[in-house]
Amino acid sequence: MPPSLRLNAVAFISPQNHPILIRTFSPQDDPIKYHYIAHTSLDVIEERVTSAGKSVECYLGLLYSMEDVAIYGYITPLRVKIVLALALSDAVVKDVEVTMIFKALHMAYYSAICNPFLKLEAANDTSSDISPFLLVGSPKWRKFRQRVDEISRVAGNATATTSAT
Amino acid sequence: MATTSKQYKAIGEDLWKGRSEKINAELFALTYGALVVQLIQDYEDYAEVNKHLEKMGYNIGTRLIEDFLAKSGLGRCADFREVGEVVSKVGFKSFLNITPTVTHGAPPPPPSPNRPSSINTLSQTSAGSSFTLTLDENPLAEFVELPDEALEGGLWFSNVLCGVLRGALEMVQMQVQAEFISDVLRGDESTEIRVKLVKYLEEEVPVGDD
Repeated sequence: MPPSLRLNAVAFISPQNHPILIRTFSPQDDPIKYHYIAHTSLDVIEERVTSAGKSVECYLGLLYSMEDVAIYGYITPLRVKIVLALALSDAVVKDVEVTMIFKALHMAYYSAICNPFLKLEAANDTSSDISPFLLVGSPKWRKFRQRVDEISRVAGNATATTSAT
Repeated sequence: MATTSKQYKAIGEDLWKGRSEKINAELFALTYGALVVQLIQDYEDYAEVNKHLEKMGYNIGTRLIEDFLAKSGLGRCADFREVGEVVSKVGFKSFLNITPTVTHGAPPPPPSPNRPSSINTLSQTSAGSSFTLTLDENPLAEFVELPDEALEGGLWFSNVLCGVLRGALEMVQMQVQAEFISDVLRGDESTEIRVKLVKYLEEEVPVGDD
């Protein structure tokens, strides 16, 4: 059986470059490594987006690769960035599969921010100025994390020859 | 009985398809969600919020039944069991495009033999009947995740539906109690509403001129 994609980490970053959610799936790596990776990805994304000008597509493709991971980027129309760290392997990684994973992550984020109770929490929390869209990544809201975990699990199970359901 | 059930399903399907004014499901869910959150901010007490959602539903139900009867052309239901069938297969289907499963409650105990009026016999035997609607999808709660305070406070997010059922059935001379028994938003297995008949209302029924 050909080796499948392995998601090491997913990071969601707000338009103001604040982290929303960083979820790591590889037990052997220190999660802080992916914080660092997400941070460095921001520069690459900025560069890609400004050079593309008006005609920017959501899927940014391979941003760069390091040691053992390949970093892919995606930017939503409202400038939320999604960074995906895939474990480097010999298998050919198809663009269309990565795009599908990004779309699924985008939809998971979208469903999570539509929760009306986020607004309530942000309104009650008058001490800090946190936007409700940042709150969605907090441990209190489990469904978003569950969806992201689910996507990672499904992507991991898909083989290179068949597309993920 | 089986044919009637299929007929109801067909009527419901036709009514849904025939409706020209449908609304985007996401817009509907987001609007309702914003409404519930606003109520929570205003009342700060989940029991109050439940009550107000039910009251709002009641007002909606009293008006909705007119639309329903006009479009469906259905006549009076023979018994409360039929009410359950019509509500789930035609009512919910034509307005929300969902068909909750209906489970009829156990028949009530026989009436006390000392009631004088013979006209009331039918209503006596039916009072106490109930049916339970099991919704396997809820368009109102599309994106919702309840926070812990709401769970502890006992919020029934879709309580407006109970009000709608109470209001609509009251306009057709049935006084019912509708309440949520379980809700997937609260972590239960399924979302269930139990509708219990309290009594038939003895108001003057205007003679229909058809």
